[in-house]
Amino acid sequence: MTLLNANRQNKRGLTASLLIMPATAFVVLSLLLPMAILFRYSLNAFVPGKFMVDALTADNYIKFFTDPYYASVLFRTIRVASICTIFCLIIGFPLAYVLARTQSHFKNLLIIAVVLPLFVGNAVRAAGWMVSLGNKGAFNQSMIALGFIDAPIEIMYTELAVLLGIIAVNLPFMVLTLQSVIESIPRHVEEAAFSLGAPPLKMFWLVLWPLAIPGILAGTILTFILAMNAYATPVLLGGPKFQMMGTLIYGQFAQQNNWPFGGAISFILMTTTLFLTLIAQAFVTNKK
Amino acid sequence: MASLDLQSLTKSYGDNRVVADVSLHVAQGEFLVLLGPSGCGKTTTLRMIAGFVEPSSGNILIGGKDITTLPPWRRNCGMVFQNYALFPHLTVAENVAFGLQMRKVESIEQRKRVKDALTMVRLEHLAGRYPREMSGGQQQRVALARALAIEPDILLLDEPLSNLDAKLREEVRVEIRELQRKLGLTTILVTHDQEEALTVADRLVVMNGGHVCQIGDKRDLYERPADRFVASFIGRSSFIEGHIKGQGLFESTDGLQLKVSREINLGPATLAIRPERCRLGTSAQTCDNHLTGQVEFVSYLGSALDIHVRLGTQTKVIVQLSNQESVKEPQLGETVQIGWASTAGLLYPSDQGRESYGGL
Ligand SMILES: Nc1ncnc2c1ncn2[C@@H]1O[C@H](COP(=O)(O)OP(=O)(O)OP(=O)(O)O)[C@@H](O)[C@H]1O
Ligand SMILES: [Mg+2]
Repeated sequence: MTLLNANRQNKRGLTASLLIMPATAFVVLSLLLPMAILFRYSLNAFVPGKFMVDALTADNYIKFFTDPYYASVLFRTIRVASICTIFCLIIGFPLAYVLARTQSHFKNLLIIAVVLPLFVGNAVRAAGWMVSLGNKGAFNQSMIALGFIDAPIEIMYTELAVLLGIIAVNLPFMVLTLQSVIESIPRHVEEAAFSLGAPPLKMFWLVLWPLAIPGILAGTILTFILAMNAYATPVLLGGPKFQMMGTLIYGQFAQQNNWPFGGAISFILMTTTLFLTLIAQAFVTNKK
Repeated sequence: MASLDLQSLTKSYGDNRVVADVSLHVAQGEFLVLLGPSGCGKTTTLRMIAGFVEPSSGNILIGGKDITTLPPWRRNCGMVFQNYALFPHLTVAENVAFGLQMRKVESIEQRKRVKDALTMVRLEHLAGRYPREMSGGQQQRVALARALAIEPDILLLDEPLSNLDAKLREEVRVEIRELQRKLGLTTILVTHDQEEALTVADRLVVMNGGHVCQIGDKRDLYERPADRFVASFIGRSSFIEGHIKGQGLFESTDGLQLKVSREINLGPATLAIRPERCRLGTSAQTCDNHLTGQVEFVSYLGSALDIHVRLGTQTKVIVQLSNQESVKEPQLGETVQIGWASTAGLLYPSDQGRESYGGL
């Protein structure tokens, strides 16, 4: 009898592992393997003209951290990603709350409206920003026409443009993640807090926020990682002089042909992202 | 603790009048039960009192003070929800302390009141647990303790027992009733379970389709149902359609002549008779209404027997016999004598309260 059971369980385990095989294989082949190779490359030496020379050296990493230019790119990336994430959370939470609690027949339409920005590709979206925010764009021209300003405000090719651009792309991710978590918190729990004497703000801090923490973490981490790795938006809205880690890496690989240094920057970006994410998580779960 | 008054309270969603012109007075320390079939507007009424639903018109007064426009957090109503609605991220003690924190009660006093509230529901030993680590019945009692700890003016309970099994439900409702009496709490309980309603209530309000059908104590509702709906909803009744011929005589549609004591205007009417007021066999002959009929169906209920007796093509009456040793179960198709006192029949004009609920 127990033998039969064990047998059955073995079979079930076997079926399960067979089922997750393709996914596992895909992850290994497409993610872990390239990363391992990349890491190995980042320890190689780069000799101009000779492309890549086999070595085991930390020079690429040292170069990154000793040159203030590269460090400033890293800090700019962290700053941009943090600001975007915080704004997404602040704007996204009320929106997600309304979406989660609405009893409107148009709920699905509202959700589609939130996701709509993702239906548009990066290039099209950037073009949209240009015609609205550029010097000859709708915003500046109408402000001038109305006499609020004399000369156009430079928005394109500034950090502000990049921030706006990344927030617009990341907001839907934040909103959808938060919405699903808020939906799982029963409305009655909020009402219980009200009936016990908690005004809306108190209810929010003492009940809604702590219960939504899993979603807040997931949404924040998702938008933070997306923002840290942003490539298209900084290129299209920040212009050639505005460097973030994503653009820096691409430049090293595609323009400088410096694979070892590109690999090293990739690893620095990945580790920083992971590290900051873990810190945020520890901070939030401890506070609770 | 305070009295509660509802004055022509009405709630409409679009054209749909969900609660229509409800007026009632709940005295201080009274236990009132709102009873009615599903969808009759009980929850909506309760949620208007708690402040979660804004009335379309009418007023709500607590202790004589109009609170119709106050938000829920300024009303001091303790509410117990059907699904408990405990805060899952807080321990039992923290759940109970929540309302006290909102009232800025100082911490020593707070701890004492949390302990008292938990002792009242006999859960002081589980103060450190999280709600998910407790059974449904225990969670229910935590929810009750949480609502009691704030010493509410009014305690509102929305089907608080419906998620518990039958045995536990009986226990908890007795507990709630005892606590309510001890604390002298003005309480409103919503239920569609009439047995629950009858065990705990000082007074009951029967609602149907958003309207109040009748307000009264148990005896009022059972002995003198105001309309046909109440007669079918509280307890059971056999209904006989017919018309009043005058001189204390009622004629059923299939021609039976029945004596009645209370008369309403001449014309179409419905006669209602409680199953336990009917007699069967030789004792039926002493009643001033006695007839013969065929046994159509017998259902054995343990403590009682229900005998369905057909008296005419359109008339069927149920007789309830208490299951004593001497009782002889009649056979299907057997001809039996059946009788009831003319005073046991209740008469309703036929055009009123036609929608019957659970009637026989
Ligand atoms: N937000 C709302 N919008 C529209 N109609 C509603 C809303 N809330 C309740 N209703 C309607 O009001 C009616 C009464 O609802 P309510 O919840 O008060 O019934 P109830 O007596 O508590 O029933 P139950 O015993 O099933 O809980 C129902 O027909 C319901 O469909
Ligand atoms: Mg209800």
